[in-house]
Parts: sequence; C-alpha cells; structure tokens
Amino acid sequence: MTTVRLTVNGAAVSRDVENRTLLVELLRNHLALTGTHVGCDTSQCGCCTVLVDGAPAKSCTMLAVQADGATVTTVEGLARGETMHPIQQAFVDCHGLQCGFCTPGMMMATAGLLAKNMRPSDAEIVHALAGNICRCTGYVNIVAAVRQAAGAMAAETKGGNA
Amino acid sequence: MSAVPKFGRFGSGREVKRIEDAALVRGQGRFVDDVSDAQQLHLVFLRSPWAHARIRAIDPKDALALPGVVAIVTGKEMVDAGLGTFPGASNLKRAGDQPGAAPPYYPLAVDAARFVGQGVAAIVAQTRAQAMAARDAIVVDYEDLPAVVDSRAAVAAGAPLVWPAATNNIAAEMRHGDAARVDAAFKSAAHVVALELMNQRLAPVPMEPRGILATIELGAEPAQDKLTLRMSSQMPSGARESLADGILKIPRERLRVVVGDVGGGFGMKTGIYPEDAVVAYAALKLRRTLKWTAERSDEFLGAVHGRDLFSRASLALDKDGKVLALRTHSLANVGAYGGVVGAMIQMLIGPWVSTSVYDIPLIDEHIQAVLTHTTPTGPYRGAGRPENIYIIERLMDAAARKTGIDAAELRRRNLVRPAQMPYKNAMGQVYDSGNFPLMLEQGLKLADYAGFDKRLAESKARGKLRGRGLVTFLEWTSGNAFEERVTVDVSADGFIEIYTATQAMGQGIATSYAQLAVDVFDVPIERVRIIQGDTNRGRGFGSAGSRSLFTAGSTLQLASRQAIDKARELAAEELEVSGADLEYSGAEFRIAGTDRTIGLFELAAKQDARVIHVDTTSSVAGPSWPNGCHVCEVEVDPATGATQVVSYMSLNDVGRVVSPTIVRGQLDGGAVQGIGQALCEQIVYDSASGQLLTGTFMDYAMPRASIIGTFTTRTDESSPCKTNPLGAKGVGELGTIGATPATAIAVVDALARAGAEERALKMQMPFTPEKVWRALNGK
Repeated sequence: MTTVRLTVNGAAVSRDVENRTLLVELLRNHLALTGTHVGCDTSQCGCCTVLVDGAPAKSCTMLAVQADGATVTTVEGLARGETMHPIQQAFVDCHGLQCGFCTPGMMMATAGLLAKNMRPSDAEIVHALAGNICRCTGYVNIVAAVRQAAGAMAAETKGGNA
Repeated sequence: MSAVPKFGRFGSGREVKRIEDAALVRGQGRFVDDVSDAQQLHLVFLRSPWAHARIRAIDPKDALALPGVVAIVTGKEMVDAGLGTFPGASNLKRAGDQPGAAPPYYPLAVDAARFVGQGVAAIVAQTRAQAMAARDAIVVDYEDLPAVVDSRAAVAAGAPLVWPAATNNIAAEMRHGDAARVDAAFKSAAHVVALELMNQRLAPVPMEPRGILATIELGAEPAQDKLTLRMSSQMPSGARESLADGILKIPRERLRVVVGDVGGGFGMKTGIYPEDAVVAYAALKLRRTLKWTAERSDEFLGAVHGRDLFSRASLALDKDGKVLALRTHSLANVGAYGGVVGAMIQMLIGPWVSTSVYDIPLIDEHIQAVLTHTTPTGPYRGAGRPENIYIIERLMDAAARKTGIDAAELRRRNLVRPAQMPYKNAMGQVYDSGNFPLMLEQGLKLADYAGFDKRLAESKARGKLRGRGLVTFLEWTSGNAFEERVTVDVSADGFIEIYTATQAMGQGIATSYAQLAVDVFDVPIERVRIIQGDTNRGRGFGSAGSRSLFTAGSTLQLASRQAIDKARELAAEELEVSGADLEYSGAEFRIAGTDRTIGLFELAAKQDARVIHVDTTSSVAGPSWPNGCHVCEVEVDPATGATQVVSYMSLNDVGRVVSPTIVRGQLDGGAVQGIGQALCEQIVYDSASGQLLTGTFMDYAMPRASIIGTFTTRTDESSPCKTNPLGAKGVGELGTIGATPATAIAVVDALARAGAEERALKMQMPFTPEKVWRALNGK
C-alpha cells in the first residue's frame, strides 16, 4: 500500500492504494470520476486517455503511484463551471459522438494535441488520434470537431491578446 | 386549427444538437460499469483454454481457500438447480425434414467445453482482484479433444464432430428457390460467372464491454427475493423475459432489467448471454448484489461474432447482360452451439435480400448452418444482409468484367423499375417503394463517375494505383417486429415525458423522437424527455434491425397527436368554446382571433396526477427497404499493397429524413465498419489448435481515424416508405452493407487495372496489404 498524492482537476487528492492500482482505477473507483472509461486490456483503445502534466496518457497503462505528484486532468475537468470547454462544444456541434464511450478519451487526446499544436492539419489530427478507437462515428465528425475546437481556441487566444 | 409553429427549428427535418450530448461530453454518462453498489461482490469467469475438451472434474478447493472468495459456481450446479439452456438448432430443420441438431448450450459448460473462451466456472469474491486470483487457483481436469474451426473443414469427411447427432457438423439448413429451373437457366445462359466468396468472421466490438450490476432486494424468503439487472443491452424486455422464462424459471415479476447509457451495440448486445444467466443465478443464490464487468478479452472470446459465411456463388446472364438466375451454396459457421438467431440470420434473413435491387426471377440458394469449435455467431450490423449484398455485388462486378458491359450499364439493365412497385422478389419479399434507376443515375453524377479517368491518371502520376467500386443495393429492416407502444405524459412541471421500450445505444433516437414530438407539441426540444431502459415502465422488442425510428417513431407521432387532441378537448372545456375554435402553437391554445389562451402545461396541472397521459400501441404495416448507390475510390500503393480509401460517395434512400445530422452519422459510421471488413478486420482461429489468434486489439485490426477519405453522404427523399405513417426507412445498418462491397470491388478494380484481375477476383477479405501485394506480384 502506498499513499498517492496528486492534483486531479485542480483539486489536491490523497489516497491509500495497493501498489498495483492503475491510474484509471484510482480515478474511477477511488475518486468516483467515472467519465474516464476502460475499453480494452491492452492499451490500444484510448478510452482511458487523460492528461498527466498536460500530456495525453493512457490511464490504464499507468500505475496510480506513477502519478504521485502529478497534475491530472480528466474529462470532468474540461468544462469551465457551467460553460463547456471549446473541445466539448465542438464535439456537440459537429455530432462528433454517438454512444459517447470513446468520447472522453478522444477529447483528452484532442486537448493534448491542441496544447502543443494550435493549428493542426487533418493529417496531424488523424495522427494525434491514432491511439483512440471509435466504433460508432467513423471518425469523420471527430476530425471536424477537432478542427472546430482548434479554431475556437485559437480565436480565444487571439481575443485574449487583443 | 394550428397557428404558425414557434419552435419549428427543432422539428423533424432540421439539424439540431443532440439532447444526449451534454451529459456525455461532461463524462456524466451512466454506462453499466459506472454504477456501483457499496455492498457489491465481484464476479469473474473462468474460460476454457481448449477449443474442445471433456470436463472430467472441477476442483475449487484451493480457490475457495483464498482471501475474499465467497463462492464458485459451476455448470453442473446450475443444472441441478433446474436452470434451463439456451434455445438451439433443434427448433430448426436439416435436409430430409430432419430436426436440427446441436449440443445443449448450458450457461456454464457441463460435460464439455466446445470453444476457446466458453465459460466453465464463475468466481465471486469481495474484490475483482481476489476473484481473479481465485480463478487461477481453480483446477479443471480437461481431456482435450480434436477440434475443427473452419466450416469447410467441418463438413468434410472425417472432421471432428461437435455433436454426434449433427452429421458432418450440419446443425440446420435451408434451401430456397427452384433448383431445376435454375439449372436450366444456367445451361441456356450466354454468360456464367462463378466466384468463391468468404464473408469473413468479424467481432462487432462496441467500445463499451458488457457488464451487469445485479442488485438483490431481499424478500421474506429467497423465493420472494427480487432481482434488478443493470445491463448494457439493446433489448431489456427480451433479456428479462428470456432469462426469467427460459433459464432462471422464475416469475417475471421477480426480475427487472434497467439500462442506462449503452456504449455501442451493433447487434452484439441483443438477446441473452450465458454470463447474464450466471450472474443472475449467483445473485439469487447468494442473495447478494454482484457486479461483473467484461474485459475486452471476454468480449473477443465470449461475445457473439458476426458474419462467417463461405459461398460458392454464380450468376447466369443472357447475351445482353440480363440476369437469368442466381445460385448460391453457402456454409454458415455458426459456432459451437447452433443458436437459432445466428442460424436464421444466414439461412433466411440474408437471403431475403439476395436478389437486391435487381429483377432476378430465379434463385437456388442452399445455406447450411455448420457447427465448429468456435464462439457462437449472432447479429452484427446488417446481420445477413451485408453477406448477401457482398455476394450479389461481387457477382455483378465479375459479370461486368466478363461481358465487357460497363458496371453501371449492367446494373441499369437489371434494376427493378418504379413501375414494378410494389415488387415481390424471388424470396417472396415485397418492396413497397424505391426508385433504383434514379438512385443509380444520381449516384453516378454525385460520384463524378464519368471523371474517373482523370483521377486515375493523377493517382498514377503519384505512383499509386486507383480503383473504383460501384454498388447499388437495398436492405431489409424491422427485425420482424412491427408493433411498438409509447406513453406520453404532459406534466404540470412543463415537460413532456415519452416512454418507449426501444433502446438508445448511440444511434441518437432520443433526439430523433424529440424532434417528432416537437413537430406535434411545438415546444423547445429541451422540454421533451425521452425515457428508455426500464422494464418496469413497459415491455417491447427493443432496438435491432434499424427498426426504432420507423416503428416507435410512428407510434410516438400518433400518441403525441392523441395527447394534443385530449388537451384540445380539455382546453375547449376550460375556455367554454368548441375545440374547432382553438388554434395551437408554442404549447398554448388560443381562441382564434382573440387573445384568450390557456397553456398546455396549465391544462396538465388541472388533471389527476397533474398529467395529461396517453398510452398507445400501434403497428407499422411492414418492413422498410432502404437502398442506395455507393461509389468508393481507393488508391493502392504498389510497393506495399496498402489501400487508402480516397473518396466514399453514397446516395441513400432512407425515405423521409427526420434527423439529417443523425442519419449522416449513421451512414458514415456504418460505412467505416464496412470498410473495416473489406480492408483489415478478421477473427482468426488457428486450425491446428483451435486457439483464437485475434483476441485483443493487438491482433484484431480496427479501423482508426487514418482510414477515412472524403465522405460525400447524401439522402434522397423522393420515395417515402409506404408502410409507415412517417414514410421513414431504417438507416442504422445501410452504410455498413454498402461499404464492404464498394470498397472490396474498388480494390479488385485497382488490381485489375494493373493487370492482376484474375488473382484479384480470387482474393478474400480482408484485403490486407500482404494479400494485395501478393496478388500484384503473383507471389
């Protein structure tokens, strides 16, 4: 057992966990943040994607203890209070989700991409989402949502600098 | 009388944002594993590592001694407790009017395991980790036996038998048409084309694995305990009734099924599974709440597989390319237990569309359901129709090549004409509507079919081969369930709550229903609540076969109108006028020409229970027959054999479009699943050992975002459905059905243009880079 201390969605948390506890298990079972999903057992599907210190990570492939001291953002931490994050808004606007199971992971991977590259090409979007599987949408509207989110976030940044 | 609607922008035919999305994008979905009970125990399954093995003994002693272990359940225990088996092929027929034959399918294997992954025991413990540790400590004495996994190998002399009574491993079979007349047609034909075609076995792979939370409500004694199963199911009522009646043998009143958000279904979450029976049994026996969550490997091993139809198919044509007859002999690999649904999909449902949009008078179709030591097959998006459309379209493509008649022209000469509607096909199915020649002409234009050579040259300049695949096709929808029941409650709190037993699983029916409700009630869409997923609220068939919108939507429209009619009478009474003097818009009745009004929700508040309540059941008159013209263009890299879908154009007749955004999403999402079958997906068993080789996403190649090219997706609403009041045709499976042949034919075309036609016609899906490279290089 180890005491893990980390920041999740801006709040400091501390939990005692078995050493073998995965980060996704800490999030879902210990912190009741069930927005992050488990879709496979071999790290391919990406449904468990969260941001760890700003970079996308598959939380099924990290131990909770590895996230000790880290800043983790999950889908529950995207919205700004009542207002949706531009990525969330874009997925809604573009019909970028159908069943919604892969969606949190898709959005967090998108957040990671746009943090590094605010004007990704379609090829760069597709590459950034290579680790995320969707069975419902056929990806067409997901790519459109990422494009829209990129535009909205770039405009925000511009506005902020105006 | 109605005034101008105030909220028409949310009504049918309009692009609206989905009402489902706000919760889902915030991570507030309630998928089955998201809901827990503080008292829950955890259940996991021990699965057979052998494809075929006698089970001599199961020794749980060491496992029971491990920390936290509560119970270990075996198949024998469940038999002794009087539980039933899953319905099998004995209800079907074989040649010579023999009854079908298949082994009894127990929820947990009793005498033998017959596929790798079949459940052999269940372990219940305080934590999931403890249950998994205990699983490793169970000692099973297996006597491994020879196994067969391929349908052709299974019907050959000397093959290991899955079940002694099933001679040559044939569980059931059906033959349709007129063999003698078809033989005669082939003898007199100017042209004959013959192909061997494999619709390979696939895994449906909804991204959310199955799971169950079984909550016990204790009665005075065990026989009065009630059980609620929270499931990820497309058919809550069916699950409840099949489990209660057929397996658990308990009164239905003791069992409730609730469904929250479902992370994809695609047919895989219809019916009931052995795991459902075991979890329910264990919860009742232990009188404890249990949770089971499938891992992805549980899904590859234990959830139904789709397709797996091997066909020898041939087409006879006259000198002008008019098709005289279709002949097929197919082996459907239904897995180890010959379940009725999996067998009927291949033996009957698929053949219903075998002649597709073509006026083919004669058929001879023989389908044999074959047992092998593999996972049972079941519905997967299209369920029989993709297989048969693949067959006829590959044959039409081969016929175009053989006769030298252009692919579009050959189809043009064979399409059923509007004047022939309603058209009865060779299987006796009646198409109510559809303008197939129009769809072809418009489809060709949309795809710039005539401009292909320019694009071919442009690809060549970049060192790429290019090919195109044209398909015209239709499909059958409804799941053979035409009736639906809808309740409408207009409540004083300002909401309209609508209940139906269809089930959302990502296809956006809640939004589509809400748009239909807005058409009638003229309220903002947020005022409409769609309730599903609770067998306490009412029973119904559930969602499958692309049926929900045109069946439940039709009933919903009727029920909504009845609610307004009821409200109008109440308003007339309140305002002391005749109903005919009232105009309705924006949730308000107004005496025409005055400013005297009364609100819809105000009226509700004055009623008993503060609701205006309507409960309506209605049926549509028949299945719907959506159809399309799809054109896929691919580029092939000759150095690697890799195929890229460059453009995918589809023109689709889904009758009246209620929700354009959702319809396009279904078509595109469906298309990518179809492209996946053509290019990369396959469930593979090792023939020597019977082991599943594609048991994880490391080996089962799923389409990823990189697979998509430019999608141009259009609908044509000029042929509304004549057998339901909405005029709508089911869209959910249409995209998948068209995309597999369109993509496959495009790859064949690219190879043919590079001089490898003969080898290309012999390729079987998936058209992996290796296969394409070998065909190009003759190696």
